[in-house]
Amino acid sequence: MADQARFEEEALVYASPLYAAAMRMTRNPSDAEDLVQETFLKAYRAYASFEQGTNLKAWLYRILTNTFINKYRRDHRRPSEVDLGELEDLYLYRRLGAEQSAESARSTEERVLDGLMEGDVKEALESLPENFRISVLLADIEGFSYKEIAEILDIPIGTVMSRLHRGRKALEKALWDFAAKRGLVDKTADHE
Amino acid sequence: MNRDCDHATEVIYSYLDQEMTWVRRTRIRWHLRRCPPCTGAYAFEDRLRIVMKERCQDEIPADLLDRLRSMLRELPPVP
Repeated sequence: MADQARFEEEALVYASPLYAAAMRMTRNPSDAEDLVQETFLKAYRAYASFEQGTNLKAWLYRILTNTFINKYRRDHRRPSEVDLGELEDLYLYRRLGAEQSAESARSTEERVLDGLMEGDVKEALESLPENFRISVLLADIEGFSYKEIAEILDIPIGTVMSRLHRGRKALEKALWDFAAKRGLVDKTADHE
Repeated sequence: MNRDCDHATEVIYSYLDQEMTWVRRTRIRWHLRRCPPCTGAYAFEDRLRIVMKERCQDEIPADLLDRLRSMLRELPPVP
């Protein structure tokens, strides 16, 4: 019984970040709610096997991610690495700096970073193919290390790094498109 | 752009993710001190990361949190 109270106390701290992650994964509130609920149910049942003193947050994310992959993914086959095409490194930064003088590049950067709305940023992340989205989410939003992400997703660290590398470029491309849509950048400067 | 800049671009994520040994970090810092364009790129990527993190949060709905709490209290103890 002591364990039950302890689980409630220790695990519910992560309910909000888990919900936010579930929102990015499922892309809709009602599936996100179900996913979080199922995650807590599974975690509670498996709590006896959780090794006290190890990383509870990573353990909960592992359950969340596996539950999502097994249940909510439309396509149940394991997706092969989606081809994101060849994107330039530091895509957004290079685009913003492409045009003019250093000073005006700086002010464009400010305008874009300040002007991207919460909804834009979320939608940009949600637009990434699942493998890339989950890796970027775990690293950039949740702050997990490469090793933790490798354990959560059960993939080698090298795969984590390559998904992050490609996923972040694709994210920058998506952010650039939102910046253009919002009129934060001059699309005519996009001369490629 | 020279080879040092190419290298700095290549390892920017390892650096920002703090997934780099101290020796290699120090080498990058040396380069950044002498190279305003790379410093600009690093600063931008760092800020972008902060923006992403700040603007990708969702507070859990209060009724879901209540449901989770009562679910956990009603479940039988795990053997």
